[in-house]
Amino acid sequence: MFLLKRLGVLAATLLVVSFVAFLIPYLTPGDPARKILRARVGDLDLDPAALAALRQRYGLDRPLLVQYWDWLGNAVRGDFGLSYTSRTPVVEMIGHALTVTAMLAVTALLIAILLAVPLGALAAVRHGRPADTAITTVTQGFVAIPEYWLAPVLILVFALQLGALPSAGWTGPASMVLPCLTLALRPMSYFTQVTRASMIDVLESPHMTAARARGLPFGVAMVRHGIRNALLPVITLFSVWLAGLLGGSVVVEVIFSIPGMGRLMYESVVNNDVPAIQASIVCLVGLAVLITTLTDVVYRIVNPTVRSAHVSA
Amino acid sequence: MSLLDERPPTLAKPGWPPSLVIGGSLFALTLLVLLLAPWLLPFDPAAQDLANRLAPAGGAHLLGTDHLGRDVLSRLLDGGRFSVSIAAITLAISAVTGTLIGIVCARRGGWLDELVTRICDVLLAFPEIIVAMFLVAILGTNYLTLILALVIGGWTPFARLARGVTLEIESRDFVEAARTLGCGKWFIVFRHILPNAASPLLAHAALRFGHKLITVGALSYLGLGVQPPDADWGSMLAAAQPYLTRDPGLVLYPGLAIFLTALSVTLIGQGINVRRNRRA
Repeated sequence: MFLLKRLGVLAATLLVVSFVAFLIPYLTPGDPARKILRARVGDLDLDPAALAALRQRYGLDRPLLVQYWDWLGNAVRGDFGLSYTSRTPVVEMIGHALTVTAMLAVTALLIAILLAVPLGALAAVRHGRPADTAITTVTQGFVAIPEYWLAPVLILVFALQLGALPSAGWTGPASMVLPCLTLALRPMSYFTQVTRASMIDVLESPHMTAARARGLPFGVAMVRHGIRNALLPVITLFSVWLAGLLGGSVVVEVIFSIPGMGRLMYESVVNNDVPAIQASIVCLVGLAVLITTLTDVVYRIVNPTVRSAHVSA
Repeated sequence: MSLLDERPPTLAKPGWPPSLVIGGSLFALTLLVLLLAPWLLPFDPAAQDLANRLAPAGGAHLLGTDHLGRDVLSRLLDGGRFSVSIAAITLAISAVTGTLIGIVCARRGGWLDELVTRICDVLLAFPEIIVAMFLVAILGTNYLTLILALVIGGWTPFARLARGVTLEIESRDFVEAARTLGCGKWFIVFRHILPNAASPLLAHAALRFGHKLITVGALSYLGLGVQPPDADWGSMLAAAQPYLTRDPGLVLYPGLAIFLTALSVTLIGQGINVRRNRRA
């Protein structure tokens, strides 16, 4: 029942978002056919015959809802049309870009978690002491660093001065280091703060006291009873950030010229490449809603108390 | 009490939390400097001096000159006015609309609440910058659409927070008492809910400010925000990028300005939270 309802919401959301995406060329001032030609040839006085031909070829002279129905039918079959600028199927472009961005996002988030969990746990254990203050202050400061500043600084130091890493491009593991570090900084700060907060709660809970009273060494108690319980909120946050980073690495991808989703969207926006914009919106919303739904489902399987809470709500 | 926590309970320090004091004074100073910028500017921020390009810091030009020979310090002060005011305006509008929507949703419930929650879910799935990027692309680049785009991308966290806080306050006894006494809906909102919701919302707004400032800068950096001849910190950073090795300062200063301003307001937000927790 719960699953059915969530699937229904997912489908309805996608339908509404797809309609909005479909409407984009009509929301902007100006005639879509004119814009298609302009995006291709960049010429301001266009040949009327070419315009009429284009209008007929793309069926732009038919009623709006008929056009939407056709567009949706094609979209469901994975056909969002050809890119106005590159003339290749948009879906293929998005497929490539998404793989790149997914690699980038997952790597960055893994780095973030690997750094954040020990740091957060350390801060929690040293709650209120200098180590905690230092970790909290620094991670809170990190949140205020813009990535379009961090990236050039990293490039300057590691690529231009030391020559240790490539400054841009997508040519292998070495080229992933700087972008991943840039992307990891902010989630790392948030994850550290969340781990710290939930770890402080766990440390004060009776089962930790019981574990210590049974004579479990501190380290064993921490790993077996502490970190495992403190990780739950971090996992939720991970899925939120994953959905966000799939689209949100625009600046980093532009700076490091990485052929990912963010740069694809940026370029399609700059070039007014409507099919690419439409397909990216639908794909990203679809993915984001899917990820949140999956997280909810997994959460309910892992944690039965949520299930009863949902029923009573 | 846990066995692991053997230190004495922290002394409740009276007065203002240090983060609030430091952040507050830093931000006040920034605002003052930016407000007085027209009288403080050592040079015209737009005046080019091509004979004196990329001059090093020191001398007449305190922070040197950029690739067109313009005074960097003057441009920083002038650019900050755009960055900070756009961030502040969009944040204020987002906060007010979001809060109103959240309160109305919490009180009305039903389909309206469900609908707004779904819209929030979809918008929250997109980072603010993507929403803004698409909207700027659709509506064109000018200040009005820039602000509109940032508001559409930014009201959701406030709506969500206000909704949660309202639901929580509504379940308290004093609201029930007020209702029993026959107080009207809006009287309760203004007399009981808003005053109690103000402090978490204010803290949240302060914590969001840095994020807004960074997003405004990012849009300008991508060429979709503040348009030439105006320049903000983000577009200054973008313009300085090609000269990264020749004159790293050009990239460092605007970034540092964004960082320090964002940090100061974040500190204010944390200070408000500390004060709130202390009272609770």
